[in-house]
Amino acid sequence: MINFRNLILAVVGCLIFVVSGTLAPASENLLCVTGPCHLKFPEDHGPHPGFRTEWWYYTGNVSDKNGLKFGFQLTFFRSRIDNKSANTQKSSGQVSAWRAQQLILAHAAITEISEKKHHQSERMVRQAVDMAGAARKRDRTHVFLRNWSLDLMPEYHIIEADTGDFALELTLVPMKKPVSHGDQGYSRKGQKVESASCYYSFTRLKAQGNIRVGTKTFEVDGLAWMDHEFSTNPLEPDLEGWDWFSIQLDNHTELMAYFLRKKDGTYSDASSATFVTVSGDSVHLNRSDLDLKIMNTWKSKQSGANYPSQWRLRIPKLYLELDIEAVVNDQEMKTPETTGVTYWEGSVSIAGFLKGQTVSGMGYTELTGYVKPLNVPM
Amino acid sequence: MTLFRSTNFFFGLFFRFSIRHMAKFPGRALVVLLGISLGAAVFTSVRLSIHASLNSFNQSMEMITGIADRVVTRPGGRVPETLVGPLLKLPYVKSASPFLYTYVQPAMTGKSPFLLIGFDPILDRPFRKWQLQNSTLSDQGIWLDLMRFPYSIFAGQPLLDDLGIKPQDGLTLEHVGQSAGFIVLEALSSEGLALVEGGRVAITDIATFQEFTHIWGEVDRIDLLLDSTVSENQINQIHKMLPEGITLGMPNEDQLSGQRMISAYQLNLSVLSFVSLFVGMFLVYSLVALNAASRRKELAILRSTGASAKLIFFIFIAEGGFFGLVGWLIAIPISSVFAKYLLQGVGETISTLFVRVSVDNLTLSAWEIFVSLGMTMFISVLAAFQPAREAMKVFPKEAMDIGQPVATHRKSSRYLAITGVLFILMVWPLSSIPPPENFPFPGYLATFVLFLGFSMLSSWSLEMVAKITEPALLYLGKEPAWLAGRYVHSSGMRTAVSVGALITAVALFSALVIMVHSFRRTVELWANQTVAGDIFIRSKMADINRYKDPVSQNAMVFFNNLDEPVDIDIYRRLFLNYGKNLYQFEALKWDVYLRYGSFFWTEGNIKTGLQRLKNGEGVLVSEVFANRTGLGVGNLFQTSIRGTWFELPIIGVVRDYRTQGGVVYYSLEHYQDKTGDLNWGGVRVFFKDREKIPDEAVFQMRNRIIECCGDSVNVTLGTQLREAILKIFDETFAITTILLLIALVVAALGITSTLTVLVLERSRELNTILAVGGSYGQIRAMIFWEAFLMVLTGEFLGILCGIALSYLLVFVINKQSFGWTFLYGMDLKTLAVSYPLIIFTALAAAIPAIRMVFKQPPANLLRER
Amino acid sequence: MLPQNDRQRVAKMAIDLIIKAEKLSRIYVMESAHVVGLTNINLDIVVGETVVLKGESGSGKSTLLALIAALDRPTDGELSVAGCNIKNATEDRLTRFRRESVGMVFQNFNLLPTLNVNENIMLPGLLARRDNLSVKKKADKLLQWLGLSGRANHFPAQLSGGEMQRTAIARALINDPAIVLADEPTGNLDSRNSRIVMDLFQEIIGNGKKTLIIATHSTIADHIATMRLYLKDGALQFL
Repeated sequence: MINFRNLILAVVGCLIFVVSGTLAPASENLLCVTGPCHLKFPEDHGPHPGFRTEWWYYTGNVSDKNGLKFGFQLTFFRSRIDNKSANTQKSSGQVSAWRAQQLILAHAAITEISEKKHHQSERMVRQAVDMAGAARKRDRTHVFLRNWSLDLMPEYHIIEADTGDFALELTLVPMKKPVSHGDQGYSRKGQKVESASCYYSFTRLKAQGNIRVGTKTFEVDGLAWMDHEFSTNPLEPDLEGWDWFSIQLDNHTELMAYFLRKKDGTYSDASSATFVTVSGDSVHLNRSDLDLKIMNTWKSKQSGANYPSQWRLRIPKLYLELDIEAVVNDQEMKTPETTGVTYWEGSVSIAGFLKGQTVSGMGYTELTGYVKPLNVPM
Repeated sequence: MTLFRSTNFFFGLFFRFSIRHMAKFPGRALVVLLGISLGAAVFTSVRLSIHASLNSFNQSMEMITGIADRVVTRPGGRVPETLVGPLLKLPYVKSASPFLYTYVQPAMTGKSPFLLIGFDPILDRPFRKWQLQNSTLSDQGIWLDLMRFPYSIFAGQPLLDDLGIKPQDGLTLEHVGQSAGFIVLEALSSEGLALVEGGRVAITDIATFQEFTHIWGEVDRIDLLLDSTVSENQINQIHKMLPEGITLGMPNEDQLSGQRMISAYQLNLSVLSFVSLFVGMFLVYSLVALNAASRRKELAILRSTGASAKLIFFIFIAEGGFFGLVGWLIAIPISSVFAKYLLQGVGETISTLFVRVSVDNLTLSAWEIFVSLGMTMFISVLAAFQPAREAMKVFPKEAMDIGQPVATHRKSSRYLAITGVLFILMVWPLSSIPPPENFPFPGYLATFVLFLGFSMLSSWSLEMVAKITEPALLYLGKEPAWLAGRYVHSSGMRTAVSVGALITAVALFSALVIMVHSFRRTVELWANQTVAGDIFIRSKMADINRYKDPVSQNAMVFFNNLDEPVDIDIYRRLFLNYGKNLYQFEALKWDVYLRYGSFFWTEGNIKTGLQRLKNGEGVLVSEVFANRTGLGVGNLFQTSIRGTWFELPIIGVVRDYRTQGGVVYYSLEHYQDKTGDLNWGGVRVFFKDREKIPDEAVFQMRNRIIECCGDSVNVTLGTQLREAILKIFDETFAITTILLLIALVVAALGITSTLTVLVLERSRELNTILAVGGSYGQIRAMIFWEAFLMVLTGEFLGILCGIALSYLLVFVINKQSFGWTFLYGMDLKTLAVSYPLIIFTALAAAIPAIRMVFKQPPANLLRER
Repeated sequence: MLPQNDRQRVAKMAIDLIIKAEKLSRIYVMESAHVVGLTNINLDIVVGETVVLKGESGSGKSTLLALIAALDRPTDGELSVAGCNIKNATEDRLTRFRRESVGMVFQNFNLLPTLNVNENIMLPGLLARRDNLSVKKKADKLLQWLGLSGRANHFPAQLSGGEMQRTAIARALINDPAIVLADEPTGNLDSRNSRIVMDLFQEIIGNGKKTLIIATHSTIADHIATMRLYLKDGALQFL
């Protein structure tokens, strides 16, 4: 008998054959991120099915004409299923339409900031028989899962999700060109070269559309942020999660920063940040440029996790000092039906100083690995 | 407090008055208890066995159905998988799960097929529950493994045990023309889906399922989970988006039609098992009546010392209740033995005839136990009712009476007989009442009334028989026979009751013999004429998979190119629902079929009908279909099959004895034209030269077919198939026969106990006869003749009642229960052998009574008051 | 086998003893206790005698009658009645004896409720397989003698106590037995009917050919007695 458990273990690592190349083939044809990604658009807006994991991540803060504030999140994940063909089949060669290579997952959430309410929903299906898909056709990238979708086009993006309980339908117009993080998009997430992802963001999107909560629909506008990231390798074993920030300041600058938390409580040297200037130029920042202090925490009654809820982020190199605070404590995401990961993803408010000037803004923060160490691919 | 004291007093008195008395004559009480416990045991074990089967069926169906709100199906076919995406995009569809299932055969194990379920483990999660025994695989990923490993399955532990394999082992499965190696990833823990078919089930990913079975682009059905606030309008929207021929139905339709099929069988078996209990009722009656009659004096004394009539009444009711309760308690161990045998038998019968069930052990249902206890108690108390009322009428003054006991009144017998005749006359109108859906209540009511009527006739008939036979008796049996005649003539209710029991048993026996004979003869004729064909070919496991998989391409090519002295009838068989009723739609090549086979028409014009059928101008339906749907000749058969609307007149109604619903026959050519469905369900091969069909040629042909397409089709010889039909028939009635025999045993016990009671009760009379010069031989002969007269009367009335009952069974109850009738025919040979045998057995039952005579010295008895 | 012979033998014995009991005992075994019915009875009764058997309830009167009627067998001693050894005779012999030699009348009449008066009377004759016609004739004669002609087709339930006992007497006489046994024959009758019954008995023994034994604890039969026996605790005491 063949022991299939062993096979599962055998394919977890990404073996590198070509060190110099950007994209190295892994076992069973998985590709690895090992160097600068040389991202090209619109091509790289589309899916990269050769990598294990990929996501298109939309977050933002909007308000209606009465000043009611909402935070939102809509994320589409692509996760590759490794078909193990060790069990050789004697079929005619014809393949079922259900034989899928990819799973498509999605998380959606809305935070009613003034009501301090957080709504969330999740979905997952295999990428088959028109239930879900991720594809690029010329300059249009379309990702959908049942009736949730994103359309990424040169002039604007459209995101739509109707969960029954709440819905969002937003048109997002990029106000800056996409920003590649790290070394031409090669974003290190650990010590090994292949512990990395290809990562870029639309740091400032003008959002306009409708949000529905229950039976009430609100016409809203505001700002959104989009991340697109793909990778193959999981977090390195000494890491348990990350704290990630997307910050949009009133002075038309943005900051993306992530801190990889080691199991000993310190931040990994692979942590980094990107500052985007008014003109859209990016400044890469290393761990040594960043100083993050936790000012307050919040304990989730449901998961028992103890999340930070207030930080002070200092970047002396940029003369930047920001106080970041969750607008609503409970923005915890529970996803038992899809990724199975419990994390915190929520709207935050920002206040601080940039080169001596007061600045403020809004942002989104993602906190993972607080319930148990995260071992999904980056 | 008073209540407690009065119940306490009542049971104290009951114990001292009744129980001690019974303990004085333990033999009598034991016979009654044995009879009632046999009856209760049969009743209980039959009910429990059917319950177990039904339970297994329902459990399977519920687990398979899951919690769907609606289900998308395509009558006569499968649903295109492309519907799944659009359905999932509707905001009010919470989830949609494509579902496939088939029976597959483990290769080279000799093990029977098991159910393989194919679905998308992600989409299906909200619908059906299942867990793995060892969830060491990451909890999130269990569903992923089915998708990740092609040709992998999770299997029920009972299936693995049966196949002798364990997780991580491989096994080869066969389905129609395909066979493939599978790997068992894990065992399912026994809950949810793993309970289907008693655990003989495996689940696999939908992709694997399709690739293995070659069902491309289709699924058996799509289950839908809808938003709780879904509106009628939104449901209509779903209807509208479904292509022609695809229906949106309720999820439990299959379960309901299965239950309907089982329920008729369940009811029939229950009623049959109830007969034993019913016959046991006569036993209780005879003993309680004896106690009441022989203890009149004591009763009078009790009354004169202050006991109320009500108290006396309840003492005897309590005697009945005591027999019921103790009999039922004794029945428990007997039931468990019976049930062990019945469980398998009933389960297999239901599986062969109706729907697959897998019964491993008895599921004790509180309800069934309550029903069995309740029925036993009810019967026993009911039996005690009349004697208790008699006892209640004893006057306190009788305590002072002495001397000659009063002979029973005879006036009432004529009165009873007239009532009996009236009851019997009611049978016909009762049986013609249209039954509520599939529940043959009027038929059973008519049966009950028939039994009641004949039982009421027994007292008067005994008088008549004794009177009419008096000269013959004197001539044949001399004075003992004459004395017996005189006794029977005027003995009243006591003997009448045991004759009533005998009438019931003999009637049931006669009726069942006639029915089974008629049924078998008709089925035999049907098998020989309608189940025509020298060789039958259909897809592997076609029966168990309900002809879902058509005959393979290479088999079609083989038969199309066959250049032999044979005719080929191709047919397409679809299992469909007409309203709530399951039926089989069969399109066949009329011109070929009719050359070799024929139908029994019960309705319609054969001469013009056959031509119209060939022209595709209408359909031929089976009696079962006609009775179930209420449609007959001239009505329209209207339904959608595979997206094509059929609206055809019914040209004829014919007999058919398939157990899985009725049949509708239609012309294959016209069916193919209308639907474009060119698949074959099966092939019948006929040799053209009917005079001499050489066995060798048949075998050669069979071998050629097996050689060409044996991996995808089953080949059965016509002779084998017809034999198998009759074998199944005989096996089905084996249970009936056993139940019948037990009823006869209880009836024989009834005769034994009645005669014994009669002997004991009349011991003074018998001793008087002895004292005035009768010899022991004469007295024994007299008892024998009494038994003979009773048995004769009972058997005579029983035969009459049985003939009436056989009509009810053949033309009313079978029609109401199963939808079919048969050609009525008496099994004279069996009856001619059986009746003397019954007389003989009944007389043998008199032996203990005869031996009982003069167990006590006669002298004291003559003085006893 | 040869009833004719029997009758001749009985006739011959007429001058001799018709009942002879020697050390006659009847012990009932009842649930380990032994109950004495009769003990050590010695008795000779001659043909034609009218014996009145007296004693308290339970003194053994009925036991003795039952033994003489061959309804029971002695446990010890010898009993010969009309030439039949009750203790050792075969069951067939005893049946024949009961048919031909004894007629029995009971306190509670013991008529068969399913037979009418006529049939009840004829019953012993029929059981003895005698010619139907002669039995019928004899029955008619008895009915007339007993004043029951009008009641011939009535059933016992329709009769008065006196009528029932007269029917029973007729039944006892139908086979013309040598011995008539009566167990408390008037016990269930009023005084008028009791007298009628006693008159009938007197008529029966009138010709001196029949032996009559009446068990009673009353004095009603004293005037016709030729021999009086008194039983106490199963033992015999001559008065």
